[in-house]
Amino acid sequence: MRVVIGEDLFLLREGLVKLLSAHGFEIVAAVATAPELLAALVAERPDVGIVDVRLPPTHTDDGLRAALQARQQIPGLPVLVLSQYVEQLYARELLADQAGGVGYLLKDRVFNDDQFTGAIRTVAAGGTVLDPEVVAKLMSRRARDAPVARLTPREREVLALMAEGRSNAAIAQRLFVTEKAVSKHAAGIFAKLDLALSEDDNRRVLAVLAYLESLWP
Amino acid sequence: MVDARDGGHDRTMFFDIVLALTIGCIAFILNRGWLGARGWGLLLLPVAMAAAVMAGGAKGLIPAELSLAVLAIVFAPKLAARLVPFGVLGLAVFGLQLAKMYRDGFTNPVHYLFIHAAPGAGARAALIEAGVLFGIGLWLLLRLDAELVGSLAARWRARRTGGISALHGLLLIPVVGLVMLLLGPGNWFGFQAFDGLDAALADLAMATAALVLIFRSRAWAATLAAAGLLVLGAYGWVIAVFWPAVPGFAYGFSDLHNNLVPAPLWSDALQGSVLLAAGLWLAPRVMGGHLAPHPDPELAARARQLTQRVQLLTKTRHDAVDTAAAELRRIERDLHDGAQARLVALGMSLRAAERMFATNPEAALALVAEARETSSRALTDLRDLVRGIYPPVLADRGLADAVRALALDTPLHTELDIDLGHEVELPVGAAVYFAVAEVLANAVRHSGARTVRIRLGHSGGMLRAEITDDGAGGADPAQGTGLAGVERRLATFDGILALSSPPGGPTIVVIEVPCALSSAKTSSS
Repeated sequence: MRVVIGEDLFLLREGLVKLLSAHGFEIVAAVATAPELLAALVAERPDVGIVDVRLPPTHTDDGLRAALQARQQIPGLPVLVLSQYVEQLYARELLADQAGGVGYLLKDRVFNDDQFTGAIRTVAAGGTVLDPEVVAKLMSRRARDAPVARLTPREREVLALMAEGRSNAAIAQRLFVTEKAVSKHAAGIFAKLDLALSEDDNRRVLAVLAYLESLWP
Repeated sequence: MVDARDGGHDRTMFFDIVLALTIGCIAFILNRGWLGARGWGLLLLPVAMAAAVMAGGAKGLIPAELSLAVLAIVFAPKLAARLVPFGVLGLAVFGLQLAKMYRDGFTNPVHYLFIHAAPGAGARAALIEAGVLFGIGLWLLLRLDAELVGSLAARWRARRTGGISALHGLLLIPVVGLVMLLLGPGNWFGFQAFDGLDAALADLAMATAALVLIFRSRAWAATLAAAGLLVLGAYGWVIAVFWPAVPGFAYGFSDLHNNLVPAPLWSDALQGSVLLAAGLWLAPRVMGGHLAPHPDPELAARARQLTQRVQLLTKTRHDAVDTAAAELRRIERDLHDGAQARLVALGMSLRAAERMFATNPEAALALVAEARETSSRALTDLRDLVRGIYPPVLADRGLADAVRALALDTPLHTELDIDLGHEVELPVGAAVYFAVAEVLANAVRHSGARTVRIRLGHSGGMLRAEITDDGAGGADPAQGTGLAGVERRLATFDGILALSSPPGGPTIVVIEVPCALSSAKTSSS
């Protein structure tokens, strides 16, 4: 799997290169600035781009902008955005084109390499991965609404994990239940929220997010 | 003019002592500053006393004049203080006139303050005393009437602008000329020893002094001219009212050459009036410039404004420094108790794992996993800390998007109406951001609101944020330190926070900060 990395801090960049190489990813470019990143994403058309939000030249959200621009030129180009902090505002901007292939994670998630590489593969396959922190805030916004309030605590857990972009298998592993039980929970959730049930993971994430997002201003 | 009575020697001695004691007491009071500037009005007492005794101490005159003086001191202390210099100058002029009268054949001795003037040596003593009184009178005039003259000048300046012209200074020439004719050495010293050349030299010296003054200091020349006109004018009236029938009084064009025929009363009064009018016209134009500290009411108002501004800035700067210090203290404590402590734990876990790898690899692995957890928590701590110092989204996107992010993070339903167009200066943006964040947090914690409306806009140099929630209301800004801190932070930028929260709601918070918008934020990519 071909990967482009955009990260300005040398230690983190080299760490990512080593980690991903060790897991069998092919690093086609590892750059330190937003213009270089945009050029690399467009020229290399990698299977996934891993992008730090804050990059030179202005050290604000240049990385995010470069990723969004690249996706404008190559619709659906998978991008996993990493950051020291997560903002729902940025998550919304990344999800706005509804093309999938988007990830948005805290940098800390790199520590768990299995989950991290799993997230990279999900994004590369056109899936959506959101940091649990973003999802938790989304959930808290809807917590007082009647349909979400009707969910059982377990169903709410499953909903959150679905919103993070996890498959049934991953959710089952996380909650120590069988995949079948997760399917049942999912069906219950979709019925209560009045959503069309889909077995396809990607479409399911988008449906859940669209539901949670409906109150975003 | 009434002469001192025969046998009144003891009485005049008595008055001399009383006068000296009075002046001494007043000097003591002024020295101690007991009555402030108004204490100067007390000098009216000795002036009135001296005038009454000089006039011969006619029955009832001393009590009457003293009563008037006391009334003025008690009921119009400022006016009394202002009258003092004119009284002293009047006494001085009278001394000069007295000496001249003796030269012209007047023979009765007169009690003139501390001396008993008479033809000959007594007349000369009166001359010296008059000179001293002139000096004192002029000094008092400049000292005490600066304010009066200043306010008059301010009133005049409102109608007519322009400084002291050369013409004003040149007015000193006729004034000095008149003084020389009336009281000058040609008249005064001419009667015995100083006739002829000496008198001419003395006149020349006076004229030269006047010319030097005109060229060296126009302002002072003009001031002196104005003072001279006022004193001479007042003197004309004094003659006309009190001594119309006494021969030997020479005044202006009335009677300059020892004519024993009294001049007609209207002549003195008319000339006095003309001179007074000229003096009154000139005085406010020339004296305010260097006597009054703040002659211009606009300047005075501006000075008051600036004083208030400085007081406010001193206070807000103090608050800002305090807030910054408290903030640094909090950051230090957070780092110490949070990230730093976790890094120490991390190091210890790793060290323990290092030792265990050989003997107990499984336990070592567990420790390493624990270390990873700890580093994750340290990162979370740091992230929260950074948000509190300066929210990254504010640094990345500016105020408008930062407020949008705030709205997204709050569990309440939000309606946004943000219209900034341009970017706000960073420090102002941060103050407003934290203010909005605090207000939103209060709405979540206390109001029970479901929906909150945030309006953010800029008009007329004011950045304005309005946060309305549909909660229960009844918020008390005095409770809790959150809003007070926000207000202090806003005050550093002359910003304000207003809260309206009637019981039952809605709660409306308005934040206003004067600020100029910078040009649109440059895009980085």
